[in-house]
Amino acid sequence: MVIRLAAVGDVHLDEDVVGRFRPALEELPECADVLLLAGDLTRHGTEAEARCVAEEFGGLAVPVVTVLGNHDHQCDQVPQVVKVLEDAGITVLEGNGVVLDCAGGRLGIAGVKGFGGGFAGRCASDFGEPEMKAFVRTTTDSADRLGAALRSLDCDMLVALTHYSPVPDTLVGEPLEIYPFLGSYQLGQAIDSAPTALAVHGHAHAGTERGTTPGGVRVRNVAHPVIKQAYSVFHVGDQLDTDQVSPIGQSGSQRSWS
Amino acid sequence: MTDRDIGADPPDEYVEAEIQRLLVEDPAVAEQGITVVRRERALVLYGEVESPHRREEILRRVSERFPDVPITSDIGVIGAQAPTEIEQLP
Repeated sequence: MVIRLAAVGDVHLDEDVVGRFRPALEELPECADVLLLAGDLTRHGTEAEARCVAEEFGGLAVPVVTVLGNHDHQCDQVPQVVKVLEDAGITVLEGNGVVLDCAGGRLGIAGVKGFGGGFAGRCASDFGEPEMKAFVRTTTDSADRLGAALRSLDCDMLVALTHYSPVPDTLVGEPLEIYPFLGSYQLGQAIDSAPTALAVHGHAHAGTERGTTPGGVRVRNVAHPVIKQAYSVFHVGDQLDTDQVSPIGQSGSQRSWS
Repeated sequence: MTDRDIGADPPDEYVEAEIQRLLVEDPAVAEQGITVVRRERALVLYGEVESPHRREEILRRVSERFPDVPITSDIGVIGAQAPTEIEQLP
């Protein structure tokens, strides 16, 4: 069973960049069964910017599944943004999941924006001022909803989609001081509570691509400034040609479809 | 920039902080991925954006707000070509 995923995050669309991704997106059916968008689709989260996203990522030959990012919340127009995306056929996840029938099996995707808070031993605690408690509870609630969504899906392969990072590994390159604003260990804990095959996130523009959760789930940071291409492609499964499997330390194998 | 300009009005930590916040909070910029680094002779802006227009806008807004601060830009525009590799995950 092999399921083919394409993913990118932090595309920050507005009128000035509409059309840049489209030529590469037209090639998607050759290499992927689904496209995952890891949030920050827009610059300020306006309905007008969402229409740019719909134009760029709507009407593709593969299903598109997304979570929102912090930028998509900036103008408090989340319901309008979600409606524009859904009208374009894009599935928007927030504390829920979807199962897609792919050639290689049933792919379950659970998604949540997530939130900051930091990582084990260096994280915020649910203690003190109401503002701090609200901050940490936002993180915990988000992670709890991700875990519940992951555990609820009946599928052959499970993928977690977030905007914020579930691990510090993929933040390497970012200043240590801002790690608590880039992700939280509770997201990793949620991912490890289910038989997740892959976790995909964005948000950390100066981070790195690869990491793993404490439970051994592979994590990929697909923020556009990190991958520096229209999207990354992952072929996940247990029937892969071993000659094609990229060894640890290399960036990948040459694509076989070109 | 002449030698006399250097140190006449040195960029300090508060200016650095203000520029960092301007890059995020100014609606015309809204970039969280730009790093401001204080060097001896100037503040250097590093990072990558989605279009040349956004790069120009960053420089315009920062220069407008801090006309006396020497600014150097090393901001790139991110490519959007199709990938040439796949990662196979058993």
